[in-house]
Amino acid sequence: MGLIARTIEAAGIPTVSIMLLREIAEKVKAPRTLLLRWPFGHPLGEPGNRAQQLTVLHAALTLLVEATVPGTIAEPGYRWRREHYTEPGAWPAGITQ
Amino acid sequence: MALSVYTRRLRSWAYTHVPGLRQLWARTTREVVEQQEIPWADLRTPLRACRVAAITTGGVHLLDQVPFNMRDPQGDPSSRIIPAGTPHSGLTITHNYYDHRDAERDLDILFPIALLASLAERGVIGSVADCYSFMGHIAGAHVMTLAQRSAPEVARLLKQQQVDAVLLTPA
Repeated sequence: MGLIARTIEAAGIPTVSIMLLREIAEKVKAPRTLLLRWPFGHPLGEPGNRAQQLTVLHAALTLLVEATVPGTIAEPGYRWRREHYTEPGAWPAGITQ
Repeated sequence: MALSVYTRRLRSWAYTHVPGLRQLWARTTREVVEQQEIPWADLRTPLRACRVAAITTGGVHLLDQVPFNMRDPQGDPSSRIIPAGTPHSGLTITHNYYDHRDAERDLDILFPIALLASLAERGVIGSVADCYSFMGHIAGAHVMTLAQRSAPEVARLLKQQQVDAVLLTPA
């Protein structure tokens, strides 16, 4: 997946990648990585848990607009279970025209 | 049911749910090539105006598209286009290397196209573009095909569709 992200970024489109293993994230060096140590097949969390899924999307979009260093790996540290999620309030705006 | 099917299901369950096994795979796999230089593109559009595409390597495809090839041990380096607005009911997953039963119940945990559409409706992002799907676990000669053909082709289509940003999610 890192290879795909790197190819798209090299073509001029910014990317943000969710990854589930630090060892892989550090090797493949995607431009912006949100690292969640969760089970395979669950990059946005558990089925039906919309607050959790939106929290992950919020973190990914925040990284997309705020990261300035190529290869940034952000690890918010959300636990797989026993984490209480609420739907994010304010969303990032990015640059303003 | 053939024994090989049980073996495959047990393996995909174990890799999905046993953290130590995932880390062992991550440390020992030769599928992942260590990279050095990191490409970079600035986000030049306000998020509320961004045309966003999602890409997954989770083996998602339309019901009437050719499934990813699970018979090749080196994987399938091809991609599938998932047109904007495709409902979850029009999609399926062909990928034997992880347990995707939860993703079949709620595809947004793997490939958040409906969630992104809801953000577009709320004005958080501009719109959702056509999206793309691959399968992970590409090895051997197929890595070159992915690097030199499939990934650049998807990048070209994303440029053509004037996509401003891409979210990638793994299996």
